[in-house]
Amino acid sequence: MRLVVTVNGTNHEVDAPPSASLLSVLRDDLGLTGTRFGCGSGQCGACFVIADGRAVASCLMPARQAADRDITTIEGLAKGETLHPVQAAFIAEDAMQCGYCTSGMIVSAAALLARDAAPDEATIRDALAGNLCRCGVYGRAIRAVRRAGAP
Amino acid sequence: MNLQERIRIEPDGSVTAFSGKIEFGQGIRTAFAQLVANELDVPVERVRVVMGDTGQVPFDFGTFGSHSVEQEAPALRRAAAFARHVLIDRAATRLGIPATRLDARDGVVADGDGTGLGYGDLVLDAPLKGEVPEDVALLPPARWRHIGQPLARVEARDIVTGRARYTADIRLDGMARGAIARPPARGARATRVDDRAARAMPGVVAVVHDGDVVGVVAERDEQARAAADALDIDWETPRREERATQVVPLREDGGTDAALASAKLVLSATYTLPSIANASIGPSAAVVDVRPDGATVYAGTHRPFGLRDAVAGRVGLPQESVRVMPQMSSGTYGRSSAPDVSVEAAVLSKYARRPVLLQWSRAEEFAFSPSRPEAVLEVTAGLDASGQILAWRYDEHTNVHTAAGPDPRAAAMTSGRNAVPPYVIPSAHVVLHVEPTPLRTANFRSLAAAENVFAIESFVDELAHASHQDPLAFRLRHTSDTRLRRVMERVAEASGYGKKLPERRGRGFACTRYHGTYLAQVAEVEVSPAGAVRVLHVWCVIDPGLVINPDGVRNQVEGGIQQSASWTLLEELRHREGRVATTSWDTYPIATFRDAPESIEVLVEGEASAPSTGVGEPGAVPTPAAIANALFAACGARVREVPLTRERVRKAMPTGGV
Repeated sequence: MRLVVTVNGTNHEVDAPPSASLLSVLRDDLGLTGTRFGCGSGQCGACFVIADGRAVASCLMPARQAADRDITTIEGLAKGETLHPVQAAFIAEDAMQCGYCTSGMIVSAAALLARDAAPDEATIRDALAGNLCRCGVYGRAIRAVRRAGAP
Repeated sequence: MNLQERIRIEPDGSVTAFSGKIEFGQGIRTAFAQLVANELDVPVERVRVVMGDTGQVPFDFGTFGSHSVEQEAPALRRAAAFARHVLIDRAATRLGIPATRLDARDGVVADGDGTGLGYGDLVLDAPLKGEVPEDVALLPPARWRHIGQPLARVEARDIVTGRARYTADIRLDGMARGAIARPPARGARATRVDDRAARAMPGVVAVVHDGDVVGVVAERDEQARAAADALDIDWETPRREERATQVVPLREDGGTDAALASAKLVLSATYTLPSIANASIGPSAAVVDVRPDGATVYAGTHRPFGLRDAVAGRVGLPQESVRVMPQMSSGTYGRSSAPDVSVEAAVLSKYARRPVLLQWSRAEEFAFSPSRPEAVLEVTAGLDASGQILAWRYDEHTNVHTAAGPDPRAAAMTSGRNAVPPYVIPSAHVVLHVEPTPLRTANFRSLAAAENVFAIESFVDELAHASHQDPLAFRLRHTSDTRLRRVMERVAEASGYGKKLPERRGRGFACTRYHGTYLAQVAEVEVSPAGAVRVLHVWCVIDPGLVINPDGVRNQVEGGIQQSASWTLLEELRHREGRVATTSWDTYPIATFRDAPESIEVLVEGEASAPSTGVGEPGAVPTPAAIANALFAACGARVREVPLTRERVRKAMPTGGV
């Protein structure tokens, strides 16, 4: 099935099976492997991307549904060599260990800050509750999002 | 140890270091780079650390037990220090200046007048080599620029931009995708595979049935999974071999029963912990390229050389022809000590004659990975009239804790880890019973230490309360080890131990000595009338000897505490008829952002004159008991069974709940 998806501001034409998820198109057709596979059922957040301003699980979104949305992945957050404030804050707080869940966390945080520039801690916890981290960097990640959202 | 196996100076003056250890997010790549940069006096960015590539690094048994820094730091430091001496000697010869007048700083060997040569210039003719002397002089602390400095992970920028490449992100020319057909019960064998429907499906490259591997290789992941589901297979479950229980005495002082009989107060309790999952966020993955004359394996692994041998044996290649190139990996906390996913991918690749990427599904990861076994800990102790422990009897019932299986030589230090309490006890009788299980059990962070320390530190708390002693004072009167005493006293200070708390809140204390690292924790919890436990704060003081990267230590210990709090409050891998019944995040919940404590404060107070010891595992070890003890302090509920669910807490409340 041929379709056109708009990812990080660029239109891409791909040929993928009708059953393909947006995650599989990103990783296998566009080479955007920064969005990770975690569970395939939208329960862990490792595959989150921003679709029309909201953080969503790309593993659950059929690629054909993504075709009429504006998709931003972890690779699209930095502007050239200038990191998105959330990315810079995650480095400053060393808010990562293995890093596998980090893309999804940063995507959720970037979507949050786009609608609420200075969220309080409870809002951050709620907004990132769909992002599981097994290494246990939650405390650092909360500090990083607060830092990125600070005026 | 040969210098050339450990350190290479590149012609551009940068440094490459080689280690058989693996980075999983513990930050050891960063710590190793700091150590080498320190001895050679170069910026950390000028050091590249090659880890675990069996084609490039010296043999290493494996990355576990939080031993990496303890084992590798001295070797890498000595090698780097020797490289520095060799560079100075070479410069002396080339410049005609005595070596004693030369110094190596910032990548240049020079004398005081500015005459000098860059490190790169000194290796243009010949690479550095030679046997590293045992007594090579290390750079004195006054010259240290990197040891002891907090440093963000060297991979940080790649991780936050999504550029970091994990195993499942590898894309090789001609690479296909694999999927495995799983049996209804673990251990079942396929007796008949009808692949007619599967072969006709789009994208299918090969259907493989070789021994215990039944699977499909296809062009795309969705295609491989769909075709694997379309295989029509008859399975047969072999009868399980019965194994005997291994009984391993860990400490037998003698006279324990007599001492118990003479005690003024005797207390007994039994503690139970369930099987739990390593529950890596990224399911196991491997890319393997098997060719007639050799194979390349790209995978996350704790044991690159063990994995090499396992793959070589399974596909019939000489060990030297297989190269394992470890990749960045989702944290697995011990799970990838097992070679399974790489072996499966190798078999698929062998038949498909193409490189194959295999990544397990979430359900496969829960159902077929090894997990931490159950444990039942029975303990009895007797106190004299002054409240001093006279005797201690401890029986640990559990299963195999490592991928190596039931090796009797390893049982004491794996399944029996930390079963012997760190306290002064005149007569102790500690016995490990390693029982057979139909479950697949293996390595998980700290092995049995988390289970044993939950029992020991809960019971010590119970003994203190039963004899009307303060739990901290009770521990201190039984502790002769000065480093253990110090972390206990310091965490009491840091947490404001003894402070009056609001209703339904309580604080609990726990400590341990784990492979030479000392730590003590205080947890503060709040208990709802319905029995829900929330961890509000945790304080931890850790002494891991000489500290290389204080922030790296803090991050590891915070993570260990957070993960352990999740085990303690939420986690249980349920089984039914030998199968795992909890195969998704909604049936096996772990802590989320909402559950994270308000604060986890880790104070790194290493004894600088002591060797560096591990920090990856020990942070998790005292936390279950600290939480259970805090729960008791909050509402009088002593819960001896983990996880500390609402129902258990409510039932244990003195009032029977509100």
